[in-house]
Amino acid sequence: MTRILTIEDDAVTAREIVAELSSHGLEVDWVDNGREGLERAVSGNYDLITLDRMLPELDGLAIVTTLRTMGVATPILMISALSDVDERVRGLRAGGDDYLTKPFATDEMAARVEVLLRRQNTVTAQATTLRVADLELNLISHEASRNGELLTLLPTEYKLLEFLMRNTGQILSRMMIFEEVWGYHFDPGTNLIDVHIGRLRKKIDPPGNAPLIRTVRGSGYVIAEPV
Amino acid sequence: MSLPNPSKGWRSSSSRLLALYSALFVAWSGILMGVMYYEVSAYLDNLAKHSLMQRQHLFSRFQGEQLVDALAVSMTFDIRGIDAYGLFDSHQRYLSGALRFIPDGLPLDGKIHMLSDCTDSDDPTLPTDSCDAVATQTRDGRWLVLVRDNGSLFAVTRIILHALFWGVTMTILPGIVGWHLLRRRPLRRIRAIQARAEAIVAGDLTKRLPLSNRRDELDMLAAIVNAMLERIERLMNEVKGVCDNIAHDLRTPLTRLRAQLYRMQQQAGEGSAEAAQLDLVLGEADTLMARFRGLLRISELEDRQRRSGFVQLDPVALLQELHEFYLPLAEDDGLVFQLHLPASLPPLKGDRALLFEAIANLLSNSIKFTPPGGAVILRGVNQGGHTRIEVLDSGPGIPEAEREAVFQRFYRAEAGNQKSGFGLGLSIVAAIVSLHGFTLELGRSELGGARLVLDCRQSLMTPT
Repeated sequence: MTRILTIEDDAVTAREIVAELSSHGLEVDWVDNGREGLERAVSGNYDLITLDRMLPELDGLAIVTTLRTMGVATPILMISALSDVDERVRGLRAGGDDYLTKPFATDEMAARVEVLLRRQNTVTAQATTLRVADLELNLISHEASRNGELLTLLPTEYKLLEFLMRNTGQILSRMMIFEEVWGYHFDPGTNLIDVHIGRLRKKIDPPGNAPLIRTVRGSGYVIAEPV
Repeated sequence: MSLPNPSKGWRSSSSRLLALYSALFVAWSGILMGVMYYEVSAYLDNLAKHSLMQRQHLFSRFQGEQLVDALAVSMTFDIRGIDAYGLFDSHQRYLSGALRFIPDGLPLDGKIHMLSDCTDSDDPTLPTDSCDAVATQTRDGRWLVLVRDNGSLFAVTRIILHALFWGVTMTILPGIVGWHLLRRRPLRRIRAIQARAEAIVAGDLTKRLPLSNRRDELDMLAAIVNAMLERIERLMNEVKGVCDNIAHDLRTPLTRLRAQLYRMQQQAGEGSAEAAQLDLVLGEADTLMARFRGLLRISELEDRQRRSGFVQLDPVALLQELHEFYLPLAEDDGLVFQLHLPASLPPLKGDRALLFEAIANLLSNSIKFTPPGGAVILRGVNQGGHTRIEVLDSGPGIPEAEREAVFQRFYRAEAGNQKSGFGLGLSIVAAIVSLHGFTLELGRSELGGARLVLDCRQSLMTPT
């Protein structure tokens, strides 16, 4: 079973994180201070750590730095009340794998955790082709085909599809998509990503075929085998 | 915003002081010379009278031919043409001497008189202008007229004028040099102060005006301003601290609120009335969070700590990326969205992500407010060596009266009220633009709608 360590000093927030992650079938341990958090992170065999940036006793940034210098490579999702752009860069530079600022939506947090967990697995897999139902994406030739028919994708559409397919079955929020595909970290407005997804949909889900990209209301998008 | 230029129309107070001092010195030396002139000329006048009186006495002792000889001999000593005489008979007819006739208006009373117009002669040995003259009757009845040029005063006048000329020259020349030197240094210091002040105006409140170790008025003033800045910075930090605290205190409750609502929604049965209602509430919570993030983002940007992340970047690639990003949205809204670019544009210095965000906000607004069938143009222009980025649309435009207001938080143009939007977009743009020291102007586009011009020339000095 996948084990998560949540280091968070606010009890209510922590309870929500635990509840949300548990509902995704993950086993979550909660620690409310930095010192104990670091101990558990080092000794316990966790698959992922969600780490509050500001903690009593030992600061979140210090924990990441310490873990990385000790050679602990557990993926870390940093959750911070410091939304400063530079703060984000600092957190990622120190060794955080993703950075989420408060206030955040728990479903978005869970989605990021899932993506991080999955990323670890796919790195080992080293696949050259991604496949969802009859949709195929060749990671080397950058070609996509549905049902054997070649699809012409623009570079951005290819990136978008690759991100979706690397996380097949996983809900991806608009923010995550924008960050991953375009590399920016601001709120471009919800409909912009929707429009880009719409374009991609038209190409990979032509009428007559079962749609692969699904909209999850209020959360984002997911690509999955049709049910 | 710019401070007045110290090299135009401004004068240094010390150079002005020096000019005043020079003028006073010249006036004072003029008065001094005048008094001296008056005293010296009175003295010389007296002296001339005395010597004339002495000669009168001397010649009164001689008689007949002896007098004529003595007069002739006395003239051989006078080579300067100061003294002259004329000997006339009892009927005032000329006998001998340089004076051919008795000067007009000279009373024959044996007393010394001053004549303003002495002789009417071309003889260079005779005094022509003013002179002292005396007519004495000798014992044998002849008239002896003695004149003495008191025009040696002219020489004195010349000497004094010379002295005055040199004195004034020697005062004015070093005065001008000094004026120039005195002017340069304070102006240089003012420029240093200006550079620092511009950095402060640009938002770096940690900067202070430079102080020299001369402890003069300028330093005094700078110290006063620095004390003021100290206070302002403290107040700003206090306000910011309060805002940060409020913001920080709101983050956790918002997170909790959203999380609990989400859990309730998850637990509510699929398709139930509660689930639908919770969907709406959740949507509201998301809107609230997005606005809250927007506000935090503006205050972050206004903090201006990000300049360190500035790099040289190519606007062409940036604009192409933006065009590509917004093209699908514009097309879905039934708009023509064009990118007008020259072959190359001058590079600009800035934060790529922030500039992308700023222009994205401009495009987003233009696309949102332009009705279907309209057009939006994103244009890059090389404006005399720096890049100008323009966003033009055929939408309703922004009325002149509202052009200032649109950059304020939460403002939305009246005409577009029915459209959704956080109204924070343009204030984020304004914050990014001022962080970069660029300027943003609003106008009317040739397409009939709004024209937003981002002038990427750094107008403020970058603090060092």
